[in-house]
Amino acid sequence: MLGAEARQQTDAELVRDSLAGSEAAFGEIVRRYQDLLYRHAERMSGGADEAEDIVQTSLIKAYRNLESCHNPNRVGAWLFRITANTCKDHLKGRRRNRLSLEDVPALETEVGDPVDALDRKGIQARIDLALHRLPLEHREAFVMKHIEGLSYQEMGAVLGVSVPALKMRVHRARDGLQELLEDLK
Amino acid sequence: MNEIDPRIQAYLDGELRLEDLPAGLRDRAVEWDRLFGVMSRSAPAGAPAGFETRVLGAIRESASLEETSRGDRTAARPGWLEWAVRPRSVRVSPLAALGMAAALALLVLRPWSGTGPLPDQGVPAGSVYVQFVVEAEAAESVHLAGDFSEWQPSIALSDPDGDGVWSGRVPLEPGVHEYMFVIDGSEWISDPNAAVSRDDGFGRQNSLLAVSEISGT
Repeated sequence: MLGAEARQQTDAELVRDSLAGSEAAFGEIVRRYQDLLYRHAERMSGGADEAEDIVQTSLIKAYRNLESCHNPNRVGAWLFRITANTCKDHLKGRRRNRLSLEDVPALETEVGDPVDALDRKGIQARIDLALHRLPLEHREAFVMKHIEGLSYQEMGAVLGVSVPALKMRVHRARDGLQELLEDLK
Repeated sequence: MNEIDPRIQAYLDGELRLEDLPAGLRDRAVEWDRLFGVMSRSAPAGAPAGFETRVLGAIRESASLEETSRGDRTAARPGWLEWAVRPRSVRVSPLAALGMAAALALLVLRPWSGTGPLPDQGVPAGSVYVQFVVEAEAAESVHLAGDFSEWQPSIALSDPDGDGVWSGRVPLEPGVHEYMFVIDGSEWISDPNAAVSRDDGFGRQNSLLAVSEISGT
């Protein structure tokens, strides 16, 4: 019995229990995927508070529409897609390119060589600024590919976009990033 | 734009090894690897402490608000539900909305009565021509996708006068149909003027359209 209880429930079981009214089951789904969703939202929005709002909104939406998750074994990909869409909707409300160098999130000061930490902080600020100047869909593809480490196939499954189209977006993002980083030097 | 050499792009996509690149490109490829390393190391660790508790609290709160307003919504629901499924002799009105707001509308141009020759080959008898219209000023292309196209964005709308209002006629069989517009091949949007919509299961809203059988003529 103890062994059975200790066994980690599958995503499909958690979805089934959540639909049956178990808040604990949905809580476990949140625990399982919150970091992945949050990282994506923070990289896309550039702010911790905004990221928290976006992910919270997405998870409430998911909870209310859980019966629409047609493949409960892949509830993580379904949540990711909802979060990615919520991010895009949120960011469309902002004027593109309005961020300045002062707006990019600061890195935590690290223990170690202070010059090195400062250099990295400066580099990171420039990368963040350049990322936020990319067109939304290019940034989304780039973040998923190079920061979240997804394959093109995984990205396609989440976004419902073909692999060649995603490759094109990532390539354009790299081109744009190269140019923007040159400008920011 | 200063484009990256396609061989470096292929390397960054994992399609070529570093040693497959000409010597002159390897340094640039390694620079990109370093850049990705900086990005990965500085990526946020994850959700802040207590996040799950806050999410569950917000869900409880929204459920409670929903409970409070349920009375109003159940009273309102039969109206739109009836609108969506009520048989009618096709006159989906959007002309009024188009005239008033120059936004979008959905209008039936020419109902097919089922008598006489079919106007287009392959159109099932009893189909009704519905004109879809959407305003998308900055778009370079607009397509329509719906249950009638197996959700493939294969129906191109046109904007011949370049005023940002895109439209196209589609023969639809009677029934309730779900659809969305696809802007520039990638951005899926709901019909802003649709009277009824339904969650698509991925956090967006499919627009709903009711097409009824033609009653005579």
